[in-house]
Amino acid sequence: MDNQENSLKSPPKNIWFLDDYPPFTGEGRQPVDASGYHRSSPEDAIVIDNGTSTVRAGWSFDKDPRLSLDPVMARYKDRKLNRMFQFVGADVYADGTARGQAKNIYEPGTNIVNNWDVQEGVLDYIFIKLGINGRDGAIDRPIVMTEPMANLVYSRRVMSEILFELYGVPSAAYGIDSLFSYNYNNGRTGLVVSSSYTSTHLVPVIDSKPVLSKASRLNWGRSQSAEHLLALMKAKYPTFPGKLNEYQMEQLVREHCYVSQDYEQEMSKYLDWTGLEDRDVVIQRPFTEAVVVEKSEEELAKVAERKRQNGLRLQAQSAKMRLDKLIRKEQDLEYYRDLQQRVAVMTKKDAKAVLEADDFDTEAQLERKIKDYEASIRKARHKDVGDIEEEAEVPVTYPLLDTPDAQLDEEGLKQKRQQRLLKANHDARARAKAEKEREKARVAEIERLDNEKRENDLEGWLQERRIARQAAIQRIKDRDRLKADLGNRKSLASQIRMKNIANLASDNPTKKRRRGNDDDTFGADDADWGIYRSIATGDGSDDDDEEDLDAGLKAIEAQLLAHDPNFTEHSTRDAQQDWTKSLLHAFQHGPWAFDKESVRDAHQLHLNVERIRVPEVVFQPSLAGLDQAGLVEIASGILTQRLAHSPHQPQVLRDIFLTGGNTLFRGFEERLRDELVAVLPAGAPLGVRRAQNPVADAWRGAARWAAGDGAKRAFVSRAEWLEKGGDYIKEHDLGNAYAS
Amino acid sequence: MAPTTLAAASIDGGHDALLNQLDIYAVSKPWRKPHWKPPQRRNKTVKQAIDASRRDATNINTQANSGASTPFPPASGSAATPLQLNPAEASEDLSRLVLSKRMQAALSIGPKVEFEELLGAPSIHPSSKKRYCDITSQPAPYTDPKTKLRYHNREVYGYIQRLSGQDIERLLEVRKANTVLK
Repeated sequence: MDNQENSLKSPPKNIWFLDDYPPFTGEGRQPVDASGYHRSSPEDAIVIDNGTSTVRAGWSFDKDPRLSLDPVMARYKDRKLNRMFQFVGADVYADGTARGQAKNIYEPGTNIVNNWDVQEGVLDYIFIKLGINGRDGAIDRPIVMTEPMANLVYSRRVMSEILFELYGVPSAAYGIDSLFSYNYNNGRTGLVVSSSYTSTHLVPVIDSKPVLSKASRLNWGRSQSAEHLLALMKAKYPTFPGKLNEYQMEQLVREHCYVSQDYEQEMSKYLDWTGLEDRDVVIQRPFTEAVVVEKSEEELAKVAERKRQNGLRLQAQSAKMRLDKLIRKEQDLEYYRDLQQRVAVMTKKDAKAVLEADDFDTEAQLERKIKDYEASIRKARHKDVGDIEEEAEVPVTYPLLDTPDAQLDEEGLKQKRQQRLLKANHDARARAKAEKEREKARVAEIERLDNEKRENDLEGWLQERRIARQAAIQRIKDRDRLKADLGNRKSLASQIRMKNIANLASDNPTKKRRRGNDDDTFGADDADWGIYRSIATGDGSDDDDEEDLDAGLKAIEAQLLAHDPNFTEHSTRDAQQDWTKSLLHAFQHGPWAFDKESVRDAHQLHLNVERIRVPEVVFQPSLAGLDQAGLVEIASGILTQRLAHSPHQPQVLRDIFLTGGNTLFRGFEERLRDELVAVLPAGAPLGVRRAQNPVADAWRGAARWAAGDGAKRAFVSRAEWLEKGGDYIKEHDLGNAYAS
Repeated sequence: MAPTTLAAASIDGGHDALLNQLDIYAVSKPWRKPHWKPPQRRNKTVKQAIDASRRDATNINTQANSGASTPFPPASGSAATPLQLNPAEASEDLSRLVLSKRMQAALSIGPKVEFEELLGAPSIHPSSKKRYCDITSQPAPYTDPKTKLRYHNREVYGYIQRLSGQDIERLLEVRKANTVLK
C-alpha cells in the first residue's frame, strides 16, 4: 500500500433529493375537451396508444395526443363517507388513500394487460375527457389502439369484447406501437429497435412490411431498470434507515444513468479517487436530526443562576434545620450537665432512681452521653458557625490492649474488644497506603529503567517496541478472525466451542482421565475458569479485552511516535486503514468522509457504478441474471444470420431505427452504432438513427395512419367481430399477423 | 386512511372538494352498456393468459385438422357429427377455416408469431460470461466458494465475511443467482 495520501475533496457540489411518489401537479380536474368530438365526423377515429408507461389518446386528426396519463386507477369505497371513489391516471396521486389503492393495467414487467377493470377505468376516463356524449348509449366513433407485438390471443379477445360489447364501438383496429413510430418517421426498410418501459423489441421491416417471424424480444425495459437499481441499492446499503421505492429509483435512472461507451474500461476506473467527486451522485433522503438543543450563553447563565439559587435555598433550609437541631442538642446537653451536677450531690439511691428515670444505668453512661453530645455539638458548630477548633491529630492509643483480660471487668473487656477492632481497621488502612506507595515506586522504577534502557540502547528498545506492536496487531487480527469464525457453524473455532459447552454441561466429562485420576479437579487451577470466558459470545463477552488490546496498541504507537524517527503518523494502524484508500468506502460513501454518528450521513445514498451498470443490462442481460442475449447480439443475429440471404439486407443495415423511452439514455445510439460496426462485416453500410420523439411518435404515427386511407380496410366492424371470432383482426403493415 | 387525507380534510373542505372534482365514479358514463357483465376471472397473469391463448389455438387446430385429415363420407357427415360439436361452434369453426384459407391467399404479412416464440434466445457470445463483483460491480477475478459471491479484491472479501446470510441472499438475488436447486 503506498503511503501517499489522497487529498480530501471539497464537499459535494450537488446534493439531490427524491420524491417518494409522483407529485400531484394538477390544480383540479383535467377539463373535458369536447371540441374534438364536435369537430369529428363518424369516420374520425379515437386513437389510443395503450402504453405501459403512459397511455396517450386523442383524435386521428390531431397532431399531438390530447390526453396523456399513467395507466393506473384507484377505485375504492370510502367507509367514512360511505361512497365510492374512482381516480384514473395522475389523479390518484392527489390523495394518500387513492395512491395506496392504485392498480396498474399491466402485469409488472410485462406488456400484457393484467387488470381489465383498470383498463376499463382508463378507457372511461379517456372517453369522459374527450367529451363523448354517448347519446346512443355507445361510443359512436371507431377506435384505433396499439397492442404489443405478437399480442396474446386472449388479450385481444378480451379487449375486443370490451370495445364492442361494453362500449359498442362501431369498429376497431389494432397496430404495433414501434411500427407506428417507424412509419411516422418515414421508415420503409430497416431494423426497428424499440426499447420501452417493459420490454425491448427488434423487428426488421422490409418494404414497409414487418417481418415478425424474424423479430425478437428482450424482457428488459425502463421499469426493470428501476427494479434492478432498487435491488442494487438495497444490497449496497443493507441497513439503510429510510424506505426506498421504485418511483425514486426511476427518477435516478432517468436523471443520472447513462450508457457507457466502453463498459469494462470505464467500470474498472469508476471508483478511482481522481474525479470521483464528479462521478458520484449524492442523494439525501429526509431525516430528523437527533435534537441537541443549542442553548445560548444567556440561557446557560440563567440556568446556572437558577441552579445556584435553588442550591442556596436548600442550603439555607438545611442550615436552619441543623441550627434547630443544634439548639435542641445544646438544651439537652444543658439538661444532662445539670443532671450530672444534681446526681453528684445526691445519695446513691436517689441518684440511681433519677438516672433510671432518664434511661441511664450508671453514671458512666451519662458521662459518655454528655461526651457524645459535646463532640457532635462541636462538630456542628464547626460546620455551620465556622468555629475553627482544629482537632489535634491525637495519636490514638489503645491502652487496654496490653492489659491482660484477667485484670479487666466486664465493661473493660467490652472496651478492649472495641479497641482491638479499631486498631485492626487502622492497621489495614496503613498497610494499603504503604502498598500503594510501593506500587507507585515500582512503576516509577520500571519507567526509569525503561528510559535508561532507551537512552543507552535506542535501537534495541525500538526493536522491542516494534515487536510488541506487531504482536498487538496480530492479537487484534486473531481476535477478529476468531469472531468471524464463530459466526460460521462449521469452523474449527465454533466446533471447539460447542465441544467445550457439551463437556461442561455433561455429568461425566469425556475428558481423558490421566493416570487413573478419577477426582474432578476442575477449579484446582484458576485457569480452569477461563473456559467460561472462551465459550461466551455475543455482546459483552470480551468487550474489556477488546478495549485492552486497542488501548495497548495505541500506547505502544504513542511511544514509537515519540521516539522512533521512522515511525510517523502515517505508519499508525489507524492511518493505514485510511478510508480514502478504501474501494468499499468509495463505493458506499463516495469521496467524502462518513461519520457513523451522523444521521445525515446515514440517510445518504451514493450513486456511482450503478449509473452505468443499470443501462448496461440491455447490452449485457447477464448482469441482471437475465438469461437472454444482449441487444447487440440479437441485432447482429438478425442482420447477419436471419437476413443473411435477403436481398434487402444492405438496406436494412442502413436504417437502424431507435424508438421507445429506454433508448433515451445518453450514449445509447453511439454505443449501439459502435458495437454493431464491430460485429458487422467490414465496410458494411450502417446507419443508426433515433425517432424524432422516441416516446410520443407511436401515438402520432397511429393517428396519422388512422387518418389515412391505409387504415380504412383494417377496421373490423362489430358485425365482422361477431361473425369471425373474438381475436379477429385484419392484417395491415403496422400490426400483428392473424393467420397462422 | 392516509394521514394526508385526514389532515387536509380536517383543516378545510378543500381536499374533499378536490377529490370530488377528480372522482370519475360519479360521472355518468352513458356509453357503457348497463347490462354488460364482465366474464368471471378475466384478469389473468401472463402465464395463465398464454395458456388460455394456447388452448384457443389448439381447439381451432384440432377441429380444423380433424375436418381436413379424416374425410367423412358425405352421407354420414350429415347424419351425425363425429365430434359432437354443437351447431354454433361448428359453424364458427367452419367460418374460421374459410377465413384463414382466404387470408393465406391474400397477401399476408407472414406467418403469425406467438408471444413466447418472440422471446430472444440465451446468449452464446463469450462476453456474457464476463464476471463482475457482486458488491462493487468491478471486474471480479474471484468467487467466494462459500457464498458463491464474486468479488474484486481482498478488501471486498473481508466485507463478504462480515455479511449476514440475508445480505448475501440479497446480493445474489440481484443477478438471480439465489435459486437453490434441490
